[in-house]
Amino acid sequence: MDIEKIRKDFPILGRKIGLNDLVYLDNTATTQKPLQVIDAIKDYYMEHNANVHRGIHTLSEEASEMYDNARKTVAHFINAVYPEEIIFTRGTTESLNTAAFSWGVPNLKKGDKILLTNFEHHSNLIPWQIVAKSTGAELKFIKTDEHGDVDMTEFKSALTPNVKLVCIAHASNVLGTVTDIKEISKMAHAVGALICVDGAQAVPHMPVNVQSLGCDFYAFSGHKMLGPMGIGVLYVKKSLMGQMVPSQFGGGMIKEVSLTDASWAEAPEKFEAGTPDAAGAIGLAAAIEYLSAIGMDKVREHEIKLSKYMVEKLTAIEGIKILGPLDPEKRTGLVSFYSEKVHAHDIASVLNSSGIAVRSGHHCAMPLHKELGLPATVRASYYIYNDFSDIDKLAEGVKKALKMLS
Amino acid sequence: MDIYKNPARRGELGDANASTSQSNPMCGDDISVQLKIENGVVKDAKFHGSACMVSIVSSEILLDYLVGKTLEEVKSISKEKLLEMLNLNLTTSRIGCATLALGAVQNAVTAYEEK
Repeated sequence: MDIEKIRKDFPILGRKIGLNDLVYLDNTATTQKPLQVIDAIKDYYMEHNANVHRGIHTLSEEASEMYDNARKTVAHFINAVYPEEIIFTRGTTESLNTAAFSWGVPNLKKGDKILLTNFEHHSNLIPWQIVAKSTGAELKFIKTDEHGDVDMTEFKSALTPNVKLVCIAHASNVLGTVTDIKEISKMAHAVGALICVDGAQAVPHMPVNVQSLGCDFYAFSGHKMLGPMGIGVLYVKKSLMGQMVPSQFGGGMIKEVSLTDASWAEAPEKFEAGTPDAAGAIGLAAAIEYLSAIGMDKVREHEIKLSKYMVEKLTAIEGIKILGPLDPEKRTGLVSFYSEKVHAHDIASVLNSSGIAVRSGHHCAMPLHKELGLPATVRASYYIYNDFSDIDKLAEGVKKALKMLS
Repeated sequence: MDIYKNPARRGELGDANASTSQSNPMCGDDISVQLKIENGVVKDAKFHGSACMVSIVSSEILLDYLVGKTLEEVKSISKEKLLEMLNLNLTTSRIGCATLALGAVQNAVTAYEEK
Protein backbone atom coordinates (compact mmCIF):
# COMPACT_ATOMS: atom_id res chain seq x y z
CA MET A 1 0.00 0.00 0.00
CA ASP A 2 1.37 3.38 -1.01
CA ILE A 3 0.38 5.58 1.94
CA GLU A 4 1.90 8.74 0.46
CA LYS A 5 -0.14 8.31 -2.71
CA ILE A 6 -3.32 7.57 -0.72
CA ARG A 7 -2.81 10.66 1.47
CA LYS A 8 -2.79 12.89 -1.62
CA ASP A 9 -6.41 11.87 -2.27
CA PHE A 10 -7.51 13.33 1.08
CA PRO A 11 -7.32 17.15 0.97
CA ILE A 12 -8.23 17.49 4.68
CA LEU A 13 -5.07 15.63 5.74
CA GLY A 14 -3.06 18.64 4.57
CA ARG A 15 -4.73 20.85 7.16
CA LYS A 16 -3.02 22.51 10.10
CA ILE A 17 -4.41 22.38 13.61
CA GLY A 18 -2.94 25.54 15.11
CA LEU A 19 0.69 25.32 14.01
CA ASN A 20 0.74 21.52 13.81
CA ASP A 21 0.01 19.12 10.99
CA LEU A 22 -3.23 17.25 11.54
CA VAL A 23 -2.77 13.68 12.80
CA TYR A 24 -6.20 12.14 12.35
CA LEU A 25 -6.73 9.16 14.66
CA ASP A 26 -10.49 9.31 15.15
CA ASN A 27 -11.48 6.99 12.33
CA THR A 28 -13.77 4.83 14.44
CA ALA A 29 -15.99 7.90 14.84
CA THR A 30 -15.79 8.83 11.18
CA THR A 31 -13.24 8.63 8.40
CA GLN A 32 -12.09 11.38 6.07
CA LYS A 33 -13.27 11.45 2.45
CA PRO A 34 -11.12 11.11 -0.65
CA LEU A 35 -11.53 13.40 -3.67
CA GLN A 36 -13.04 10.46 -5.58
CA VAL A 37 -16.00 10.40 -3.14
CA ILE A 38 -16.33 14.19 -2.93
CA ASP A 39 -16.25 14.38 -6.75
CA ALA A 40 -18.86 11.63 -7.16
CA ILE A 41 -21.27 13.57 -4.94
CA LYS A 42 -20.45 16.83 -6.70
CA ASP A 43 -20.97 15.22 -10.10
CA TYR A 44 -24.33 13.84 -9.01
CA TYR A 45 -25.58 17.25 -7.86
CA MET A 46 -24.07 19.15 -10.78
CA GLU A 47 -25.11 16.81 -13.58
CA HIS A 48 -27.77 14.27 -12.60
CA ASN A 49 -29.81 15.40 -9.59
CA ALA A 50 -33.49 14.44 -9.66
CA ASN A 51 -35.80 12.45 -7.43
CA VAL A 52 -35.32 8.74 -8.02
CA HIS A 53 -38.02 6.36 -9.29
CA ARG A 54 -40.45 9.22 -9.73
CA GLY A 55 -40.02 10.81 -13.14
CA ILE A 56 -40.03 9.85 -16.76
CA HIS A 57 -37.55 12.60 -17.58
CA THR A 58 -33.89 12.00 -18.36
CA LEU A 59 -32.45 13.33 -15.10
CA SER A 60 -34.74 11.15 -13.00
CA GLU A 61 -33.81 8.12 -15.05
CA GLU A 62 -30.11 8.86 -14.69
CA ALA A 63 -30.43 9.42 -10.94
CA SER A 64 -32.48 6.21 -10.55
CA GLU A 65 -29.95 4.18 -12.49
CA MET A 66 -27.06 5.58 -10.42
CA TYR A 67 -28.94 4.84 -7.19
CA ASP A 68 -29.76 1.28 -8.31
CA ASN A 69 -26.16 0.73 -9.37
CA ALA A 70 -24.97 1.90 -5.93
CA ARG A 71 -27.14 -0.84 -4.41
CA LYS A 72 -25.53 -3.41 -6.70
CA THR A 73 -22.05 -2.14 -5.75
CA VAL A 74 -22.85 -2.54 -2.04
CA ALA A 75 -24.35 -6.01 -2.57
CA HIS A 76 -21.27 -7.14 -4.48
CA PHE A 77 -18.91 -5.66 -1.85
CA ILE A 78 -20.34 -7.73 1.02
CA ASN A 79 -21.20 -10.66 -1.26
CA ALA A 80 -24.97 -10.51 -0.82
CA VAL A 81 -26.78 -12.84 -3.25
CA TYR A 82 -29.28 -10.21 -4.47
CA PRO A 83 -29.13 -6.38 -4.61
CA GLU A 84 -32.65 -6.45 -3.11
CA GLU A 85 -31.10 -7.69 0.13
CA ILE A 86 -29.60 -4.21 0.59
CA ILE A 87 -31.79 -1.66 2.37
CA PHE A 88 -30.37 1.87 2.34
CA THR A 89 -30.71 3.71 5.66
CA ARG A 90 -29.23 6.79 7.32
CA GLY A 91 -26.54 4.72 9.04
CA THR A 92 -25.93 1.75 11.31
CA THR A 93 -28.29 3.16 13.95
CA GLU A 94 -31.22 3.35 11.56
CA SER A 95 -30.29 -0.07 10.14
CA LEU A 96 -30.44 -1.70 13.57
CA ASN A 97 -33.65 0.15 14.40
CA THR A 98 -35.13 -1.23 11.18
CA ALA A 99 -34.11 -4.77 12.15
CA ALA A 100 -35.60 -4.20 15.62
CA PHE A 101 -38.91 -2.70 14.59
CA SER A 102 -39.47 -4.38 11.22
CA TRP A 103 -38.42 -7.85 12.32
CA GLY A 104 -38.13 -7.86 16.13
CA VAL A 105 -41.50 -6.41 17.09
CA PRO A 106 -43.66 -8.57 14.79
CA ASN A 107 -41.71 -11.80 15.41
CA LEU A 108 -40.81 -11.86 19.10
CA LYS A 109 -43.07 -12.60 22.03
CA LYS A 110 -43.08 -13.27 25.77
CA GLY A 111 -40.82 -16.20 26.62
CA ASP A 112 -38.42 -15.47 23.75
CA LYS A 113 -34.88 -14.36 24.48
CA ILE A 114 -32.55 -11.95 22.72
CA LEU A 115 -28.90 -12.69 23.41
CA LEU A 116 -26.46 -9.76 23.35
CA THR A 117 -22.95 -8.97 24.60
CA ASN A 118 -22.03 -6.43 27.27
CA PHE A 119 -19.90 -4.46 24.78
CA GLU A 120 -22.57 -3.53 22.26
CA HIS A 121 -22.67 0.04 21.01
CA HIS A 122 -25.84 1.77 22.27
CA SER A 123 -27.29 1.41 18.77
CA ASN A 124 -27.29 -2.40 18.99
CA LEU A 125 -28.62 -2.32 22.55
CA ILE A 126 -31.30 0.32 23.02
CA PRO A 127 -33.51 -0.72 20.05
CA TRP A 128 -33.60 -4.26 21.55
CA GLN A 129 -34.42 -2.86 25.01
CA ILE A 130 -37.46 -1.18 23.43
CA VAL A 131 -38.38 -4.36 21.52
CA ALA A 132 -38.13 -6.35 24.77
CA LYS A 133 -40.37 -3.89 26.59
CA SER A 134 -43.01 -3.91 23.88
CA THR A 135 -43.04 -7.66 23.11
CA GLY A 136 -42.29 -9.15 26.53
CA ALA A 137 -39.16 -10.87 25.18
CA GLU A 138 -36.20 -10.96 27.54
CA LEU A 139 -32.65 -9.63 27.06
CA LYS A 140 -29.75 -11.81 28.10
CA PHE A 141 -26.09 -10.73 28.11
CA ILE A 142 -22.82 -12.54 27.49
CA LYS A 143 -19.70 -11.06 29.04
CA THR A 144 -16.27 -10.89 27.49
CA ASP A 145 -13.23 -12.43 29.10
CA GLU A 146 -10.31 -10.31 30.32
CA HIS A 147 -8.94 -10.00 26.77
CA GLY A 148 -12.23 -8.73 25.41
CA ASP A 149 -13.06 -12.01 23.67
CA VAL A 150 -16.55 -13.47 23.74
CA ASP A 151 -16.50 -16.38 26.14
CA MET A 152 -17.60 -19.18 23.79
CA THR A 153 -18.35 -21.64 26.58
CA GLU A 154 -20.62 -19.10 28.23
CA PHE A 155 -22.13 -18.28 24.86
CA LYS A 156 -22.87 -21.93 24.16
CA SER A 157 -24.58 -22.47 27.49
CA ALA A 158 -26.62 -19.27 27.07
CA LEU A 159 -27.92 -20.47 23.70
CA THR A 160 -31.08 -22.15 24.91
CA PRO A 161 -33.87 -23.03 22.46
CA ASN A 162 -35.90 -19.96 23.49
CA VAL A 163 -33.15 -17.65 22.19
CA LYS A 164 -34.62 -16.30 18.96
CA LEU A 165 -32.02 -13.69 18.10
CA VAL A 166 -28.33 -13.02 18.77
CA CYS A 167 -27.25 -9.35 18.49
CA ILE A 168 -23.52 -8.81 18.34
CA ALA A 169 -20.90 -6.42 17.01
CA HIS A 170 -18.55 -7.86 14.39
CA ALA A 171 -15.90 -5.62 15.97
CA SER A 172 -16.22 -3.74 19.25
CA ASN A 173 -15.91 0.05 18.91
CA VAL A 174 -14.31 0.22 22.38
CA LEU A 175 -12.34 -2.99 22.91
CA GLY A 176 -11.40 -3.31 19.26
CA THR A 177 -12.06 -7.06 19.45
CA VAL A 178 -13.08 -8.80 16.25
CA THR A 179 -15.68 -11.45 17.06
CA ASP A 180 -15.88 -14.82 15.37
CA ILE A 181 -19.18 -14.20 13.60
CA LYS A 182 -18.91 -17.35 11.48
CA GLU A 183 -18.75 -19.59 14.56
CA ILE A 184 -21.33 -17.57 16.48
CA SER A 185 -23.85 -17.66 13.63
CA LYS A 186 -23.34 -21.40 13.20
CA MET A 187 -24.05 -21.93 16.90
CA ALA A 188 -27.05 -19.57 16.83
CA HIS A 189 -28.56 -21.25 13.79
CA ALA A 190 -28.14 -24.65 15.43
CA VAL A 191 -30.74 -23.67 18.05
CA GLY A 192 -32.94 -21.93 15.48
CA ALA A 193 -31.92 -18.37 16.40
CA LEU A 194 -31.15 -15.62 13.89
CA ILE A 195 -28.15 -13.33 14.09
CA CYS A 196 -28.11 -9.53 13.77
CA VAL A 197 -24.60 -8.15 13.34
CA ASP A 198 -23.42 -4.58 13.90
CA GLY A 199 -20.71 -4.35 11.28
CA ALA A 200 -19.96 -0.62 11.66
CA GLN A 201 -16.37 -1.29 12.79
CA ALA A 202 -15.77 -4.30 10.55
CA VAL A 203 -16.87 -3.52 6.97
CA PRO A 204 -14.48 -0.53 6.69
CA HIS A 205 -11.50 -2.58 7.89
CA MET A 206 -11.65 -6.15 6.55
CA PRO A 207 -13.20 -8.29 3.83
CA VAL A 208 -16.78 -9.10 4.85
CA ASN A 209 -18.77 -11.85 3.18
CA VAL A 210 -22.30 -12.03 4.60
CA GLN A 211 -22.90 -15.44 3.03
CA SER A 212 -19.86 -17.21 4.41
CA LEU A 213 -20.34 -15.50 7.79
CA GLY A 214 -23.93 -16.76 7.84
CA CYS A 215 -25.52 -13.42 8.71
CA ASP A 216 -29.25 -12.86 8.78
CA PHE A 217 -29.07 -9.09 9.40
CA TYR A 218 -25.91 -7.06 8.93
CA ALA A 219 -25.69 -3.28 9.51
CA PHE A 220 -23.02 -0.71 8.66
CA SER A 221 -22.44 2.97 7.91
CA GLY A 222 -21.00 4.73 4.87
CA HIS A 223 -19.19 7.50 6.74
CA LYS A 224 -16.89 5.13 8.61
CA MET A 225 -15.55 3.77 5.30
CA LEU A 226 -14.69 6.94 3.35
CA GLY A 227 -18.30 7.55 2.29
CA PRO A 228 -20.51 10.48 3.22
CA MET A 229 -22.49 10.85 6.45
CA GLY A 230 -26.21 10.09 6.24
CA ILE A 231 -26.05 6.80 4.31
CA GLY A 232 -25.94 3.31 5.75
CA VAL A 233 -26.93 -0.23 4.94
CA LEU A 234 -29.03 -2.99 6.40
CA TYR A 235 -28.42 -6.32 4.70
CA VAL A 236 -31.29 -8.74 5.22
CA LYS A 237 -31.17 -12.32 3.96
CA LYS A 238 -33.83 -12.56 1.28
CA SER A 239 -35.74 -15.43 2.88
CA LEU A 240 -36.37 -13.24 5.95
CA MET A 241 -37.77 -10.24 4.10
CA GLY A 242 -41.24 -11.83 4.16
CA GLN A 243 -41.25 -11.91 7.98
CA MET A 244 -40.65 -8.16 8.12
CA VAL A 245 -43.12 -5.29 8.16
CA PRO A 246 -42.25 -1.69 7.30
CA SER A 247 -41.60 0.60 10.26
CA GLN A 248 -41.78 3.87 8.32
CA PHE A 249 -44.59 4.77 6.00
CA GLY A 250 -45.26 7.26 3.21
CA GLY A 251 -44.00 7.90 -0.29
CA GLY A 252 -41.95 5.44 -2.29
CA MET A 253 -42.83 2.34 -0.26
CA ILE A 254 -46.37 1.62 -1.46
CA LYS A 255 -48.02 -0.51 -4.10
CA GLU A 256 -51.54 0.84 -3.80
CA VAL A 257 -53.20 3.39 -1.52
CA SER A 258 -56.86 4.15 -0.78
CA LEU A 259 -58.14 6.69 1.73
CA THR A 260 -58.32 4.10 4.46
CA ASP A 261 -55.73 1.48 3.56
CA ALA A 262 -52.47 0.80 1.74
CA SER A 263 -50.38 -2.09 0.49
CA TRP A 264 -46.61 -2.19 0.23
CA ALA A 265 -44.09 -2.28 -2.57
CA GLU A 266 -41.63 -5.16 -2.73
CA ALA A 267 -38.45 -5.15 -0.61
CA PRO A 268 -36.21 -3.21 -0.39
CA GLU A 269 -38.41 -0.25 -1.44
CA LYS A 270 -41.01 -1.02 1.22
CA PHE A 271 -38.35 -0.34 3.87
CA GLU A 272 -37.16 2.91 2.29
CA ALA A 273 -40.05 5.32 2.80
CA GLY A 274 -39.55 8.84 1.48
CA THR A 275 -36.96 10.32 -0.84
CA PRO A 276 -33.71 8.42 -0.31
CA ASP A 277 -30.25 9.94 0.04
CA ALA A 278 -29.32 9.16 -3.56
CA ALA A 279 -26.17 11.31 -3.46
CA GLY A 280 -25.16 9.49 -0.26
CA ALA A 281 -25.62 6.08 -1.87
CA ILE A 282 -23.61 7.18 -4.91
CA GLY A 283 -20.90 8.55 -2.61
CA LEU A 284 -20.84 5.27 -0.72
CA ALA A 285 -20.47 3.36 -4.00
CA ALA A 286 -17.50 5.62 -4.89
CA ALA A 287 -15.97 4.86 -1.48
CA ILE A 288 -16.41 1.12 -2.07
CA GLU A 289 -14.75 1.42 -5.46
CA TYR A 290 -11.86 3.30 -3.84
CA LEU A 291 -11.41 0.65 -1.13
CA SER A 292 -11.81 -2.21 -3.61
CA ALA A 293 -9.06 -0.74 -5.80
CA ILE A 294 -6.73 -0.95 -2.80
CA GLY A 295 -8.12 -4.36 -1.79
CA MET A 296 -9.77 -5.07 1.56
CA ASP A 297 -7.20 -7.77 2.34
CA LYS A 298 -4.49 -5.10 1.94
CA VAL A 299 -6.43 -2.72 4.20
CA ARG A 300 -6.65 -5.41 6.85
CA GLU A 301 -2.96 -6.28 6.53
CA HIS A 302 -1.98 -2.62 6.94
CA GLU A 303 -4.15 -2.21 10.03
CA ILE A 304 -2.80 -5.35 11.69
CA LYS A 305 0.69 -3.83 11.37
CA LEU A 306 -0.52 -0.56 12.85
CA SER A 307 -2.37 -2.35 15.68
CA LYS A 308 0.77 -4.28 16.59
CA TYR A 309 2.83 -1.08 16.66
CA MET A 310 0.18 0.88 18.56
CA VAL A 311 -0.20 -1.78 21.26
CA GLU A 312 3.59 -1.98 21.66
CA LYS A 313 4.01 1.80 21.86
CA LEU A 314 1.16 2.40 24.31
CA THR A 315 1.88 -0.50 26.65
CA ALA A 316 5.49 0.76 26.89
CA ILE A 317 4.27 4.02 28.49
CA GLU A 318 4.24 3.79 32.26
CA GLY A 319 0.81 4.52 33.66
CA ILE A 320 -1.08 3.69 30.46
CA LYS A 321 -3.35 0.68 30.29
CA ILE A 322 -5.01 -0.57 27.14
CA LEU A 323 -8.32 -2.36 26.65
CA GLY A 324 -9.00 -5.38 24.48
CA PRO A 325 -6.83 -8.09 22.94
CA LEU A 326 -3.05 -7.80 22.70
CA ASP A 327 -3.01 -9.98 19.58
CA PRO A 328 -3.23 -7.57 16.59
CA GLU A 329 -4.94 -10.29 14.50
CA LYS A 330 -7.89 -10.10 16.88
CA ARG A 331 -8.23 -6.34 16.60
CA THR A 332 -9.96 -3.95 14.24
CA GLY A 333 -8.31 -0.56 13.62
CA LEU A 334 -8.45 0.93 17.10
CA VAL A 335 -6.90 0.89 20.55
CA SER A 336 -8.65 2.34 23.63
CA PHE A 337 -6.52 3.24 26.62
CA TYR A 338 -6.56 5.10 29.91
CA SER A 339 -4.48 6.43 32.74
CA GLU A 340 -5.52 5.99 36.35
CA LYS A 341 -4.23 9.47 37.12
CA VAL A 342 -5.24 11.63 34.20
CA HIS A 343 -8.77 11.93 32.84
CA ALA A 344 -9.32 10.83 29.24
CA HIS A 345 -10.64 14.26 28.27
CA ASP A 346 -7.51 15.96 29.49
CA ILE A 347 -5.27 13.56 27.57
CA ALA A 348 -7.36 14.25 24.46
CA SER A 349 -7.05 18.01 25.02
CA VAL A 350 -3.27 17.85 25.30
CA LEU A 351 -3.12 15.66 22.18
CA ASN A 352 -5.28 18.17 20.31
CA SER A 353 -2.82 20.90 21.20
CA SER A 354 -0.29 18.91 19.14
CA GLY A 355 -2.75 18.49 16.26
CA ILE A 356 -3.66 14.89 17.15
CA ALA A 357 -7.36 14.03 16.88
CA VAL A 358 -8.57 11.18 19.12
CA ARG A 359 -11.86 10.46 20.82
CA SER A 360 -12.35 10.49 24.58
CA GLY A 361 -15.42 9.44 26.51
CA HIS A 362 -17.47 6.26 26.79
CA HIS A 363 -17.82 5.89 23.01
CA CYS A 364 -21.54 5.12 23.18
CA ALA A 365 -20.88 2.07 25.36
CA MET A 366 -21.86 3.25 28.84
CA PRO A 367 -22.66 -0.20 30.31
CA LEU A 368 -19.23 -1.55 29.30
CA HIS A 369 -17.41 1.42 30.84
CA LYS A 370 -19.45 1.03 34.04
CA GLU A 371 -18.51 -2.63 34.20
CA LEU A 372 -14.83 -1.83 33.63
CA GLY A 373 -15.09 0.84 36.35
CA LEU A 374 -13.86 3.51 33.96
CA PRO A 375 -15.66 6.84 33.52
CA ALA A 376 -14.01 7.41 30.16
CA THR A 377 -11.23 6.14 27.91
CA VAL A 378 -9.16 7.59 25.08
CA ARG A 379 -9.55 5.88 21.73
CA ALA A 380 -7.02 6.16 18.91
CA SER A 381 -8.23 4.67 15.65
CA TYR A 382 -6.43 4.44 12.34
CA TYR A 383 -7.14 3.86 8.70
CA ILE A 384 -5.58 3.51 5.27
CA TYR A 385 -3.93 6.96 5.39
CA ASN A 386 -2.23 6.51 8.80
CA ASP A 387 1.29 5.21 9.24
CA PHE A 388 3.82 4.48 11.99
CA SER A 389 4.82 8.14 12.30
CA ASP A 390 1.25 9.02 13.37
CA ILE A 391 1.52 6.45 16.17
CA ASP A 392 4.92 7.83 17.22
CA LYS A 393 3.37 11.29 17.49
CA LEU A 394 0.49 9.89 19.52
CA ALA A 395 2.84 8.13 21.95
CA GLU A 396 4.88 11.31 22.40
CA GLY A 397 1.68 13.31 22.98
CA VAL A 398 0.43 10.85 25.59
CA LYS A 399 3.75 11.03 27.44
CA LYS A 400 3.56 14.81 27.37
CA ALA A 401 0.01 14.73 28.77
CA LEU A 402 0.99 12.40 31.62
CA LYS A 403 4.01 14.55 32.46
CA MET A 404 1.93 17.73 32.50
CA LEU A 405 -1.07 16.46 34.39
CA SER A 406 -0.06 13.73 36.82
CA MET B 1 -2.87 23.73 37.29
CA ASP B 2 -2.46 24.15 41.07
CA ILE B 3 -6.22 24.19 41.52
CA TYR B 4 -6.53 20.98 39.47
CA LYS B 5 -3.90 19.12 41.49
CA ASN B 6 -5.14 20.18 44.93
CA PRO B 7 -8.72 21.38 44.80
CA ALA B 8 -9.51 22.66 48.31
CA ARG B 9 -13.25 22.20 47.87
CA ARG B 10 -13.03 18.58 46.84
CA GLY B 11 -14.47 16.33 49.52
CA GLU B 12 -17.58 15.60 51.53
CA LEU B 13 -19.58 18.03 53.61
CA GLY B 14 -20.89 16.31 56.75
CA ASP B 15 -23.64 18.80 57.53
CA ALA B 16 -24.86 19.49 53.99
CA ASN B 17 -28.57 20.17 53.60
CA ALA B 18 -28.68 20.42 49.82
CA SER B 19 -26.96 18.15 47.35
CA THR B 20 -27.27 16.85 43.85
CA SER B 21 -25.15 15.33 41.16
CA GLN B 22 -24.90 16.09 37.51
CA SER B 23 -23.36 14.02 34.79
CA ASN B 24 -22.33 14.73 31.27
CA PRO B 25 -23.48 11.81 29.13
CA MET B 26 -21.15 12.84 26.33
CA CYS B 27 -18.00 12.23 28.32
CA GLY B 28 -18.91 10.28 31.45
CA ASP B 29 -18.05 13.09 33.87
CA ASP B 30 -20.03 12.95 37.09
CA ILE B 31 -19.91 15.75 39.68
CA SER B 32 -21.72 15.75 43.03
CA VAL B 33 -22.16 19.03 44.83
CA GLN B 34 -23.02 19.44 48.52
CA LEU B 35 -24.16 22.73 50.01
CA LYS B 36 -24.81 23.91 53.53
CA ILE B 37 -27.52 26.54 53.43
CA GLU B 38 -28.53 28.73 56.39
CA ASN B 39 -31.10 31.54 56.33
CA GLY B 40 -31.08 31.65 52.56
CA VAL B 41 -27.31 31.96 52.29
CA VAL B 42 -24.75 29.35 51.20
CA LYS B 43 -22.43 28.82 54.20
CA ASP B 44 -20.21 26.08 52.80
CA ALA B 45 -19.82 23.97 49.67
CA LYS B 46 -17.92 20.89 48.56
CA PHE B 47 -17.81 18.71 45.46
CA HIS B 48 -16.67 15.21 44.56
CA GLY B 49 -16.86 12.84 41.66
CA SER B 50 -15.03 11.66 38.62
CA ALA B 51 -14.23 14.44 36.25
CA CYS B 52 -11.70 16.02 33.95
CA MET B 53 -9.49 19.01 34.66
CA VAL B 54 -11.90 21.58 33.28
CA SER B 55 -14.78 20.24 35.43
CA ILE B 56 -12.62 20.18 38.55
CA VAL B 57 -11.22 23.67 38.13
CA SER B 58 -14.63 25.06 37.30
CA SER B 59 -16.22 23.32 40.34
CA GLU B 60 -13.54 24.75 42.62
CA ILE B 61 -13.86 28.32 41.34
CA LEU B 62 -17.66 28.21 41.31
CA LEU B 63 -18.01 26.83 44.84
CA ASP B 64 -15.50 29.36 46.17
CA TYR B 65 -17.51 32.12 44.56
CA LEU B 66 -20.88 31.05 45.84
CA VAL B 67 -20.06 30.71 49.54
CA GLY B 68 -21.63 33.74 51.21
CA LYS B 69 -24.07 34.34 48.35
CA THR B 70 -27.86 34.26 48.75
CA LEU B 71 -29.86 31.56 47.00
CA GLU B 72 -31.26 34.19 44.63
CA GLU B 73 -27.74 35.20 43.70
CA VAL B 74 -26.71 31.58 43.17
CA LYS B 75 -29.69 30.95 40.91
CA SER B 76 -28.86 33.97 38.81
CA ILE B 77 -25.27 32.92 37.99
CA SER B 78 -25.22 32.52 34.23
CA LYS B 79 -23.02 30.17 32.22
CA GLU B 80 -21.43 33.25 30.66
CA LYS B 81 -20.57 34.64 34.10
CA LEU B 82 -18.95 31.34 35.12
CA LEU B 83 -16.94 31.11 31.89
CA GLU B 84 -15.81 34.70 32.45
CA MET B 85 -14.64 33.82 35.99
CA LEU B 86 -12.79 30.76 34.69
CA ASN B 87 -10.99 32.77 32.06
CA LEU B 88 -9.89 29.59 30.24
CA ASN B 89 -9.63 29.39 26.50
CA LEU B 90 -12.19 26.62 26.04
CA THR B 91 -13.29 24.90 22.88
CA THR B 92 -17.02 24.38 22.34
CA SER B 93 -16.87 20.74 23.38
CA ARG B 94 -15.34 21.64 26.75
CA ILE B 95 -17.89 24.30 27.67
CA GLY B 96 -20.13 21.43 28.81
CA CYS B 97 -17.36 20.28 31.19
CA ALA B 98 -16.96 23.82 32.54
CA THR B 99 -20.66 24.34 33.24
CA LEU B 100 -21.39 20.88 34.69
CA ALA B 101 -20.99 22.03 38.30
CA LEU B 102 -23.18 25.09 37.74
CA GLY B 103 -26.08 22.86 36.69
CA ALA B 104 -25.52 20.70 39.78
CA VAL B 105 -25.44 23.72 42.13
CA GLN B 106 -28.57 25.28 40.67
CA ASN B 107 -30.45 21.97 40.76
CA ALA B 108 -29.43 21.54 44.41
CA VAL B 109 -30.75 25.00 45.28
CA THR B 110 -34.03 24.40 43.44
CA ALA B 111 -34.48 21.05 45.18
CA TYR B 112 -33.70 22.67 48.54
CA GLU B 113 -36.33 25.36 48.00
CA GLU B 114 -38.94 22.79 47.02
CA LYS B 115 -38.40 20.79 50.21
